[in-house]
Parts: sequence; C-alpha cells; structure tokens
Amino acid sequence: MMQLTAEDRRVWLLIGGISLLALLFIPFSQLFLNVTYDYTLRTVALGGALLGVVSGVLGSFAILRQESLLGDALSHAALPGVAMAFLLAGRQLPWLLMGAAAASWLGVYFIHAVTRSTRLKQDATMGIVLAAWFAAGLVLLTYIQSRSDASQAGLKTFIFGQAAAISRQDVQLIALVGGVAFLILGLLWKEFKLVTFDPEFAGANGFRVYLLQMLLSTLIVAAIVMGLQLAGVILMVGMLIAPGIAARQWTNQLGQMVILAAIFGAFAGGTGAILSAVDKDLPTGPMIIVVSFVLVLLSIALAPGRGLVWKWVRLRRDRQQFAAQTVLRELFHYAYDHGSLMTPVPEKFILGVGGPAAALGLRRLREQGLVQPEGAKWQLTPEGIKAASHTVQNVLLWDIYRQFGDELGLPLVAEDRQQDIRHLLSAEAVARLEEKLAGRLG
Amino acid sequence: MFQLEQWFIQFLLYFVSPEAVNSFLRDPRHTAIIIGTLIAVSGALLGSFLLLRGMALTSDAISHTVLLGIVVAFLVLLAVQGQAPDLSSPWLILGAAAAGVATVILTEALHRSGLVKQDAALGLAFPLLFALAVILIARKVENVHLDVDAVMMGEIGLAWANSNSHCLENCESVSITPDDPRAQINRQCTNCRTLGISPRDEGAQFADICTNCGVYSPGQAWQAGLIATQPVLLFWPKSITVLALITLLTIGFVGLFYKELKLSTFDPALAAALGFRPALLNYALMVVVSLVVVGAFDAVGSILVIAFFIIPPAAAYLLTDRLSWMLLLSAVIGAVGVYFGYDLARGRFLWLEMGGLLAGLNRLFGLGLSEQWNSSISASMVLMIFFLFLVAWVFSPRYGLVSTLVRRAAQRRHFADQVVMGHIYHHQGQVAEHEELIILTLHHHFRWSPRKMARVLARLRSSYLVRFEKGLVLLTPQGEARVHRFRQTQLGRNGQSMAQNLP
Amino acid sequence: MPDNEHSPHDDMDKKALVIDDLTVAYDSKPAIWDVDLELPEGVLMAIVGPNGAGKSTLIKAALKLIPRSAGTVRFYGLPYEKARSFVGYVPQRGSVDWDFPTTVIDVVMMGLYGRLGWFRRPGRRERELGMYALEQVELADFAGRQISQLSGGQQQRTFLARALVQDARVYFMDEPFAAVDAVTERAIVAILRELRARGKTVVVVHHDLQTVAEYFDWVTLLNVEIVASGPVATTFTPDNLRQTYGGRVSFLQDGAAALATGD
Repeated sequence: MMQLTAEDRRVWLLIGGISLLALLFIPFSQLFLNVTYDYTLRTVALGGALLGVVSGVLGSFAILRQESLLGDALSHAALPGVAMAFLLAGRQLPWLLMGAAAASWLGVYFIHAVTRSTRLKQDATMGIVLAAWFAAGLVLLTYIQSRSDASQAGLKTFIFGQAAAISRQDVQLIALVGGVAFLILGLLWKEFKLVTFDPEFAGANGFRVYLLQMLLSTLIVAAIVMGLQLAGVILMVGMLIAPGIAARQWTNQLGQMVILAAIFGAFAGGTGAILSAVDKDLPTGPMIIVVSFVLVLLSIALAPGRGLVWKWVRLRRDRQQFAAQTVLRELFHYAYDHGSLMTPVPEKFILGVGGPAAALGLRRLREQGLVQPEGAKWQLTPEGIKAASHTVQNVLLWDIYRQFGDELGLPLVAEDRQQDIRHLLSAEAVARLEEKLAGRLG
Repeated sequence: MFQLEQWFIQFLLYFVSPEAVNSFLRDPRHTAIIIGTLIAVSGALLGSFLLLRGMALTSDAISHTVLLGIVVAFLVLLAVQGQAPDLSSPWLILGAAAAGVATVILTEALHRSGLVKQDAALGLAFPLLFALAVILIARKVENVHLDVDAVMMGEIGLAWANSNSHCLENCESVSITPDDPRAQINRQCTNCRTLGISPRDEGAQFADICTNCGVYSPGQAWQAGLIATQPVLLFWPKSITVLALITLLTIGFVGLFYKELKLSTFDPALAAALGFRPALLNYALMVVVSLVVVGAFDAVGSILVIAFFIIPPAAAYLLTDRLSWMLLLSAVIGAVGVYFGYDLARGRFLWLEMGGLLAGLNRLFGLGLSEQWNSSISASMVLMIFFLFLVAWVFSPRYGLVSTLVRRAAQRRHFADQVVMGHIYHHQGQVAEHEELIILTLHHHFRWSPRKMARVLARLRSSYLVRFEKGLVLLTPQGEARVHRFRQTQLGRNGQSMAQNLP
Repeated sequence: MPDNEHSPHDDMDKKALVIDDLTVAYDSKPAIWDVDLELPEGVLMAIVGPNGAGKSTLIKAALKLIPRSAGTVRFYGLPYEKARSFVGYVPQRGSVDWDFPTTVIDVVMMGLYGRLGWFRRPGRRERELGMYALEQVELADFAGRQISQLSGGQQQRTFLARALVQDARVYFMDEPFAAVDAVTERAIVAILRELRARGKTVVVVHHDLQTVAEYFDWVTLLNVEIVASGPVATTFTPDNLRQTYGGRVSFLQDGAAALATGD
C-alpha cells in the first residue's frame, strides 16, 4: 500500500465526515423538523439517496467528457420511448424504462452521427435531439390520449417527476441497475479513465475508443432513465452533474471524485426527500436540486486550495507579506545608507515611499517583532536586521538567477520573488548563485 | 394593445371584407399557422445567432428559467395590488426577460470562478432557477390561477379561442342607468341576508335595484336585444397581436444590429476593440430571446419552443455558408414546417393520409390502434421542422450525407487512379522498375485487394493513361501529362498557400 | 530497463519503419500523398514542413488513428496491429483537458494500460516503472501533483514520461517542442539522445527549422508529398527547403545553409 499524502487524508476525512453527517441527519431531523418517517418517506428517501449515488457517479464522467448538458437532452429524449412502450405494452414499469432507455440511446447515437458527419457542434445537435424527440413523444402521447384517458397524468409525472409514487420495487430496481452499472465501471475503470482523459492515446494503444465511449454513454442513459421518476425531465441534468461538480472541488483524483460524488449525491437525494416531507406542498425533485446546488456553492467557496474563500485568503496574505517584505527592504536600505542598521527611519519616509500598503506592511512587521517604534520613527530589531538582510539577499539572488541561470546550468523554476529562491533550488545550485553574486558585488 | 389591433384591422379592411377576415380566422388552422409562423420567424432569426455563437442550449435554459421570472413578478404584483394579476400583464413579461438575463449572469458567474466549465455552469444554473420556481408555485400560488401545465405545454390549436372582438359597424354601445326606460327595476330586500330574516318578517327594508344597469358593448347590446341592428364584429386572436409585436421587435433588433451581431459572433475580441460592447449586445440578445420565449408559451410551451430556435438554423447551416442566407432560409424552413405540421397533427403527412397507414399496421400486427390521427399541433409542427432538418442533413448539396458519399466515392476513385499513376511515375525508368511495377503484384504496394487493383488498372487502361508491357505497367504520354497536372493543381496549391504561414 | 519481451526477433529486417505509398485523403484534398519512407533503427528523425503539410496526419495514419486511403506502414516488418506493443506515441499537448482530476504519476502509468490489457489494474510494479520514467524527465518530485498545476513544459515532460514507460522501440512525437521553456527543451533533447543511444527510433514532428540540424540526424521534408528524406547533412539543403516551403524562404537559405554546413 502506498502512503497517503496530506491531500488524500483530507479527502478521506471529508468522505467519512459527510457520510457520518448524512447518517446523523435522520435522527437530528426528527429533533428539528416536523417529519414523520412513515413507510412512504423511508422509501422515497432511500430511493432518492440511491439515485443520487448512481447519477452522481455516472454524472462525474459526463462532466469530465464536457458533456454536462447531454443529461438534459437525453432526459427529454426518453419521452417517445415511454409513450411507445405504453402504447404497445401498457403501464408496466420495466417496459416503460426500457422504452425510455431505447429512445435516449437512439438520441445519443443521433447526436454522435450528426456531430461527426456535419459541421454542427454538439450543443446544437443535443438541442435538436432534445426538442425533436420530445415533440415525437408529445405527438404519441396526444395520440394515445385521443384514444383513451390514459396519459395526461403520465406526462405530468414524466416532466416533473413524482417522488411519492416510488415503490419498494422501484428502489430495488434502482439498486439492481446501479449495481450492474458500478460493476461495469469497476471492471473497465482504467479503460474509461483513459478514453475520457485522452481518447487519441487510448486509440493508439489499441483500445476500442468508440465502443467504450458508447458504453459509458449507455450507463449514463441508464442513470437518467432511473432518475426521471424522481426528478423529472427538466431537473434531471442538475441531479446528474451537481454532485460531480461539487466533488471535483475537493479532490484531484478521479477515484476520490467519484466516491465523493456518490456521497454528495446520496446526501442531496436523501435530505432533499426528507426536507420535502416537512410540508406537503414541497415537491421532492426541486428540493433535491436546491440541496445539490447548496453543496456546489459550499464546495466552490470552501474547498481547500481551489475554493474561492481560500483563494481570497491566500491573496490577502500574499499581499500583506509582499508589503511587509517591501517595507523591510526599504528600512534596510535607508538604515544602511545612514551608516548603521540600527538607524531609526521616519515613518513619513516609509509611508511616502510605500503608500497605504506600507502601513499594512509596517503593522505586520511589528506583529512579527521585526521592527519597533522609536517616537515617530521605526527601528529594526536584531531579528529584523537578520530578516531584512535575508530578503535583500533573496532579491539579489533572483536577479542573478534571472541573468545567469541558464549560463550556470540551473534548473528552471517559475520566477516568484516572494518565494525564497534558496528553498526552490538545491544547496549546490544556491552555492553557485551565491558565488556568482559575491563575484558581482566584489 | 387593443388600440394597436384596431389600427391594424382598419388597415386590413382596406383590402378584405370583415366577413372574410372573420371566417378566415375562425378556422383554427389559419390562426395556428399564423401564430406558428410568427414564432418560427423570430425564433429562426435569433436562433441563427445563438447557434453560431455556440449558445444553442442557452435558449433551452432560458425557456425554463423565465418561469421563475413570471412567478416572482406574479407574487410581487399579488402583494402590491392585492389581487391576482392578469397573466398577459406586461410586468410578468418584464419579469421573464429579467429571469433570462439572470440565467446568463448566474452561468457566467459560475464559469468565471474558474472552477466550473461553461456547459456545466449552464447545467447547474437553469435546473436551480427552475426548481426555485416550482417550489414557489407549490408553496405560494396554490389557489391562484398560474397553470404550470399551460406554461410547459401550451396548445396552439386553442389560440383562436382567446380573441378580442372589435366592432366595425353599428357600434352602438349602450349604457343603461336606473332612470332609463329600459331599466328593469326590482324591489328587493336589502338587509334580509345580513339579518337572516325573510322579506315578510318585520324589520325588513326594501330598495329599488336596477338589475340590468351597466355599459353594454355593441355585441352584448345586440344579444340583450337593446339595439335593433346587428353590429359587425371582428374577432381577433390576442396571441397574434402579441407575437406580431414581438416578431417586429425581433426583426427590428436583428436589422438594426445586424452588423454588430455578426461581428461579435465571429470575432468578439475585434468587436470589443472596435467599441461595440459585445457583452451588452449579448445581454440584449438574451432579453429578446426571453421575450420570444414568453410570447410563445401559450402556443407551444416552454420545451418545444427551443425547437424553433435550434432546428431551423441548424438545417439552414447545412445548406448555406452566408449569414444573410442562413437567416432567410431558417425562417423559411421554420414557416414551411409550421404549415405542414398542422396537417401532420390532423393526420396528413405532406400529401399522405396517415389513416391508411394506421389501418395497415392494425391489419398486420393487430395492434388495435385508433385510425383517427389527432395529436398535439405544436409538437407536430416541431416534428415537421425536424423532418426538414433530416432532409437537409441527407440531401444538402454541399454538406449532405448523399453528396458527401457520392463525392467521397468519386474522390476515392480519383485518388486511387492518381496514387497508382503517381507510383508508376515514381518508379518508371528506375532500377527498381522491375520490382515495383509488376502488374500481378502491384496491389501489394498499396495493400489493396487484387480485385481493386485490377479495377483501377482496367479503368486507367481504358482511358489510355497506362499501358501494359512485358508484365509491367507503364504510363502513356497522356498519363504522364495527367500526373503533372495533378501535381500542379492539387498538391502545388496547398504548398503555395501554406508558404505564407512560415514562422 | 528490461528488454521488451514482445519485440520480434527478426534481425533480418533492421528497418525500424517502412512506409510504402501511404496516402490519406480527408474531404476534398489529399492530406498526404504517396509517401514512401524508410528509416533505419536508432535514428532521430524530424518531420518538417509548412502548416497543413500533413505532418501530424502522417503520424496518425501510421498509428491507424485515422483511416488510410492506400499504402502500408511496417514497424520492423510488422503491421501496426502486431507492432503496437513496441510503438510509443506522444500526442500534442493541447489534445487533452489538463483540468482532468488525475495526478502526474497516474498519467504516466496510462502508458502501461495497453500492455496490461483489458480489465487488469496497474499495481506496484507499474507505479515503480512510472516513477522511474518520471525521474528520467526530472519530474519525480511532481508525481503526486494534479496535472493542471504543471507548467506547459512540465506537461510535455509528463507526456514524454508516459511514452517512456511504454519502453517502445519506435516512438512518434507530435510537436513535443511546441511552446515549451528552455529547460524542457533541453530535457527533451537529452531524452531523445538517450533513446537513440539505447537503439530506439524516434520520429518527431518539428516546427523549428533552426534546431533541426542540432537535434536530429535524419530529416523528412514534407509538403503533402515527401520532398526529401534522409540524413540531415545531405537532405536539409536550401534547395529542398525552398521546394518544401514554396518560393519565398529567402531568409531560410542562409540559416539552413549555415546549419547544413556547420554540423
């Protein structure tokens, strides 16, 4: 077993934490929410969670193939299949699902065929399939309707989803289909990863790229068809991609992303279903979407490293550090020019040179104990002198590196003067730089 | 709105009689086709730009999120006015347009965080806004008439039923006051209801109440027998006026900003550099798209409306390379689809009756299908437009499947000829001639089947481009000339034009 | 490195690559036309030519990534299907999404997927091979990094490492020098020479005419057709270059002449 990096540990911790939270949610929700866990709600919540897992996992691949909106097109494209199955076999769920899958799959095929053979882009062909297939479904439905009383309710269910109607058997079916999909995914994991990341290289290595891509699309179709009952046509795309997008923010590894997407999906599906039971007017599908979106927003804001809050904090810290370093060097040069490094420097001079940023830097330096006030002047402390000469030398070394790095045969590092070059290069390389610097100064 | 209609009708009546207009519009077919055509034209004009900007699915997103705009505007008006607003209120349309812009802003904000790809951002934004709308409707609008089904589905066939009546002649509106001789006065108990007593009881108070007082429009007055001569009325479907206005707005927008739209579609950076504010133009485009979507709700519903935005421009894009032609063609394709789509809904596919087909299916498979074909008109229109797309895809002279196949086959033959002649040209007269040009083994060099090679050689020989000599195949002088020419035209040009791209 | 067990033992045919009459046509025009090419073992060959000359097409057609209209390609006498295990490929860097959630070492191990075959997962051995390849391209410290955090040059070196783990006998590289920093360029050149020293054959699509003579010992000048192909000293001549790039390459004449004589 390889050792875990800090990031891996963080992700696994997160996965555990969220799973725990999801488990605790049920008892807690009974304390805070007015929910009774009757048979129906248990079934719906379980169904929602399972669907969240299936669509979260498969949706991750849709996102990475940059086919996020495929989910939208294919969920609409299922309608004629449902109608056709109804026309031929009556209201039997397995047939309806098979019909839906067949129609969606045909949609995938059509999208591929038109995109490959014309200059139309994929977004246009997806839009065509979405609208045309849906229209075909409507035509069939209205035709059925003119014959019998059957379909108006069915259409509404199809468009908006009908969580309350989810039965035990449906949940079993979802579990079964999800299980088969995961089995395939597990067996062909490395192949799917490769064709998603670099189809050309996969082709050059003898993998059947088109076959694998169609298989993956078929699995995505299965997830969509399962989800239609709960989320409905329009919201299905959100259910498919939101967990994956949230998961992507927390990790840089496909495996972790998929597991996290499964957990996010389960959380959104389960809690969305439970929250919608608080009030009879709250529809389930939309609640799931809202919960998913909250997860996405939290992830975008908070994910370590990538998240917006972290970026902002880092930016602020960098800016402060930069100001502090600048002021430190100013102080050093001023004092140096005045004969003694202990020479107090008038505050007016510092602010005059550095502007408002200098005040910020000065405050930070004082917090670090590198400067001390001396009336209206500032004086470097002994640690301050040490730090200042360090940073001044760093800048000089950077200059040397930039000028003579190639000549000295030093490895290339991105120029970032706020970093200590002595940490970026090997000791031997630094020695060479310092030697050069001494030569230049002397 | 009403006033506009009147002006237009007066203009119309210079040319036709009111009876003709009435009987024309009374036919649901005509109304449906007019409305469908208006949607098709504005959808095609805007959709062409969306398609070329790679934003085809933005119309899909907007068509869903405008629901949120309508609901929010509805609730605000409800709170302000204290009563449910009319669904055709301009405030609701404004709300819808705002929601359309909000969708684009939310999508761009998500995208600009750098953490979410463009398509994923769209796929996140519109389900969220739609979900919020559905939740709001479920929570707040329970007892108020805001029919989600109507927004989602729409039915173009019913558009004629919702008409304004315009009076043209004998337009006597009658106002009856209590002192009018025609007023019907009844003596009624005024406090019986509140006190819960009968008129005969003591304490009952009476007053004279006029039961037919009020203002009568000419039509109502005629029905109530208040006027002697029948007024001439003209019924005008409301949707036509709304959609005509929106279509005019669309045409005006595209006409006015044609140059800017074109430039910012093909080169946004240049457009920005020239000071055309492509971002602003983009938002304006989204507003117009939202307006068309809202206007089309009644007729085709929010899902099908995107067909009018995407499919006709996609078909036109396969037929032409010029933007102006693309706009025109896509409008025509949309309109033609609408025209034949109505017939499809009523059981006729182009000139083919579908009853017979269904009967045949029944007889063959015993399905017991209804032979009376009657289905959603708007969906049928979309199917017809899709059919036209398929026709364009298969038969387009330049980009169609058939012409591509034919061209490829011809090219393959041409290339095969050229490859073989080029090969001979290379080796003819060289030392390896006796190895490379043996007729019976020539196919090995190309990895072709012997049959294919035989076919190619036969073809070349019959047009006197090669000759056979001692088991070898050699070029004739004509053949050599052909190779030279090919090199100059096909290969040479490539090199020349590419020379400009030197580093 | 251990010897590749898949390699055929036909010492008869020491030609690493033989292309015969290869033609590829996209829609209306031939992309490459009647290409004949023979490459001995252990040379570094650059394919140069103007934009649209079919350089990438030639590589892709050789690897059967796009259909050929005619012609054969043989690697040590074998067709591609049988030679796959000892043919390595470095695609253009821009052909993938670098925001994909995967780490450097993962990408490198992808080079071994083909050898693993269906269903089998990479394990410890594959990881060790991957790390070894990363050390060769000086990226060992970056093994656990997410690929979007790499600079362009580091991405290119990651792709190179992925090809190295394949331990192929013939390599195809599509513009490895495009938009990379000086260090990466140096690293790639060092690896190319190392490969040559080990008897590998490398075909590189190259853009920079100035460095052809310095980096490579064999060159193919391509503009739809092959203009010339052979050792750099005899092939990389002003005449051939003019023929390849059309008439207006006056500034090239001096440079190429200087390079051709200076080497």
